[in-house]
Amino acid sequence: MRDVRAWLLWAVTMLIVSSRTRNPLYIVLLLLALAIVDSVYTPRTQRGRTPSPFRFLRYTVPIAAAFNAVTVHYGEHVLFRLPEWIPLFGGTVTLEATLYGAINGLALTLIFAAFTILNRVTPVHDLVRLAPKALHESGVALSIALTFMPQTTRSLQRIREAQALRGHRVRGLRDWLPIVVPLLVSGMERSLCLAEAMVARGYGAVADRGQPLRTRLLLALGLMGLLGGWVGWTFWREARAVALAVGVLGVLILVATVWLAGRRVARTRYRARHWTRGDTLMVGGSLIALAVAVLPVPFLPVETLVYSPYPRLIWPEFSPWVAALLLGVLAPAMVAPPDEGGAT
Amino acid sequence: MIDLRNVTYRYPSGPMILNEVSLHIDAGEFVLVTGASGSGKSTLLRCLNGLVPHFSGGRIGGQVRVRGLDGEPLDPVAVGPSVMSGVVGFVFQDPEAQFVVDRVEDEIAFALEQQAVPFFQMRGRVEECLHLLGLDALRARRVESLSGGERQRVAIAAALALRPRVLVLDEPTSQLDPASAADVLDALLRLNQEMGLTIVLAEHRLERVIRYVNRMIHLRGEGLPILTGTPREVLPQIELVPPLIALGRALGWDPLPLTVAEARTRNVPIAPPSPPIRPADAHPGPILAARDIHHAYDDTPILRGASLEVRPGELVALMGRNGSGKTTLLRSIVGLLCPDRGTVALDGEWVIGRDPADLCRSIGYLPQNPDDLLFADTVLKELLVTLHNLGLLDAPPLNPAALLERLGLGAYAERYPRDLSVGQRQRVALGAITVARPRLLLLDEPTRGMDYPAKRELVRLLDAWRAEGTGVLLVTHDIELVAHAADRVALLEDGVIALDGPPAEVLCARPHLTPQIAQLYPGTGWLTEEEALEGLR
Repeated sequence: MRDVRAWLLWAVTMLIVSSRTRNPLYIVLLLLALAIVDSVYTPRTQRGRTPSPFRFLRYTVPIAAAFNAVTVHYGEHVLFRLPEWIPLFGGTVTLEATLYGAINGLALTLIFAAFTILNRVTPVHDLVRLAPKALHESGVALSIALTFMPQTTRSLQRIREAQALRGHRVRGLRDWLPIVVPLLVSGMERSLCLAEAMVARGYGAVADRGQPLRTRLLLALGLMGLLGGWVGWTFWREARAVALAVGVLGVLILVATVWLAGRRVARTRYRARHWTRGDTLMVGGSLIALAVAVLPVPFLPVETLVYSPYPRLIWPEFSPWVAALLLGVLAPAMVAPPDEGGAT
Repeated sequence: MIDLRNVTYRYPSGPMILNEVSLHIDAGEFVLVTGASGSGKSTLLRCLNGLVPHFSGGRIGGQVRVRGLDGEPLDPVAVGPSVMSGVVGFVFQDPEAQFVVDRVEDEIAFALEQQAVPFFQMRGRVEECLHLLGLDALRARRVESLSGGERQRVAIAAALALRPRVLVLDEPTSQLDPASAADVLDALLRLNQEMGLTIVLAEHRLERVIRYVNRMIHLRGEGLPILTGTPREVLPQIELVPPLIALGRALGWDPLPLTVAEARTRNVPIAPPSPPIRPADAHPGPILAARDIHHAYDDTPILRGASLEVRPGELVALMGRNGSGKTTLLRSIVGLLCPDRGTVALDGEWVIGRDPADLCRSIGYLPQNPDDLLFADTVLKELLVTLHNLGLLDAPPLNPAALLERLGLGAYAERYPRDLSVGQRQRVALGAITVARPRLLLLDEPTRGMDYPAKRELVRLLDAWRAEGTGVLLVTHDIELVAHAADRVALLEDGVIALDGPPAEVLCARPHLTPQIAQLYPGTGWLTEEEALEGLR
């Protein structure tokens, strides 16, 4: 399993790339790359059991295509007309608008699939550990909440079934009582049991030192700087540079405050693995793809990322160089550890 | 290691649960705590790390002392469970309810992170715990993907991360199949023998654990003094014991054998050659006929053609390992899921695709957790709700009050159901599903967490219903219960009913399912101490 920070950068790269391009050729290429990454990181024992991240495709493409087709009445190839008296939807339905909607659906699928893979390969706790030490307690609470939610969903399903088996049917609001009461009671019992288990394993045994006045004052100063910068930027157009400087200073003070506060929190963090060459390669691949998407790279036709079928349908341009560099997002598949089959 | 002197405890607005309990446990002992439901086993265990009274409230008296890491005695009541966590590791009954994070390694590291153990030391401790419990291969797995036995081993590993000197476990095998339970208990024995860890374990199924322990504490409840000593000293004084002990007592063996191997070395009377197999096919045509049931979850087949019949008045035990598909088969029968292939017929009528709410007049289904059913203010109202749902309130097939009497709950009719014990809640839920008088009962592990008297009561009740023609399909891991109560056993393996026949045939075909008496007298067909005594007469 790769480092969670490398995965996070990869997912952010996918998010930015899929927001920056509407070229269907690149989007399809990226979807294929994601399919490869997904198959590499789906354990052999789980294949077929884990829902495919691409199942979203079945809904997003037709829905996005249909929505764009009936709301954007622009384009040369008219498919049919909706009556003009229908608000918003009335007018021409064009091939161009339908196609552009479908491309949007593909881009949405790309984002959804990337984050589904991220969710599958990175344990929640690893992500929470990235939070600053000062936010340790909030991180633990978030971890528990994220573990608790699927349990509650399972409980709800179980209780609904159990009640159905004594003839219960949900018709009105009052009929939810036999479901809500056991759900709440079992949730509270589980919370109590979890609290007992955490305390029995030393949660709260090491007391954190309270935050000194200095830290609290710094926090107030940082927040004031941030707020002042924002107000200045918005309402004092002549001195935007000053406002920006004040805002940045506020952010820096806040970062320093969180770091100082974290030093007083007596907790350590477990990391199952060290940073490896594979993680570096994964970061490298992601950064290359990210650079293509956001930087004006010289001698590279990055403008091919942009595609619009309006007003007349044209074949999208394709640059093999851009495509090759975008395939940096394939890096996780290239550097997958040999034990990945049973690791996630 | 552990010293209790005149400990008394009373829950807030509850009766006295521990009364003048005094006991001493030496370092390195493997101690079993037994007693009826509500006798105070869990309370006693929770006193050892301070969860009682810190979490439960109530009033505690007397003195509890546990030797700390520096050899000085610690008072759990004074220092609390967080501080005691370094000395006493605690494992709860349901592993799922105690997991804080989602991955095996992280779960073990959680306690170390809270205690600010430096990273490199933490890494070593995690490796040690994984190795001790044989979890190396599962280290990166999500806990939700593990089997019941694996989860319980992860819970034990997590409790050991702080290197406690005492490990306390509250019914750790109650939800496990026999093979998984043996895995967990073997791991505990290794920890006890190789590391000298003091283990205090509460358990109802004595036949599972008695051979592992060297000391027993039996709580008699109702303010009676506790019994403590070696199993051989304590067992003769307990009324309900495993079949082997019961047989030994009846035959006057002294000292009592704790294991089948020990019993074999004694003066065992020679068994007669002809095995008395109990008739199983004396019933008329089936109430339930499930044929060739196939079902898959996300393309992974769980059932691959399971077929099963239940006849009127027959009790069929459905057995199989955790995750073998027993509950899936029950859910297919009651219409909670539609099988991919196969048929389910009730009295010859096809029921697949019918609404479960309609089927429940004919089929009573008791889920694993009775609390999923209970929501009304009183026990009696729970039964009335079912009648109301089915439109039978005006002409109930059974009188609810009479049914409660029959369930032994007559005195509790106006009590809040969730305030009752596990066994009593189980019976309330049973009442709620049987008040419509179904012809077929499906019971999913109804004896989980039940003590021997409660189980005996349940069997008596089922026998009475069977006499009236009700068919029963019982899913359970409780071998001795099956040996006592079942007419037929169906063994679910690899998605199909691999074996289906009389208990003597099916149980003895798998070593991990063979009851103690059948192990002692192989080839006789005897499964219970009553049968053995009858045969030996």
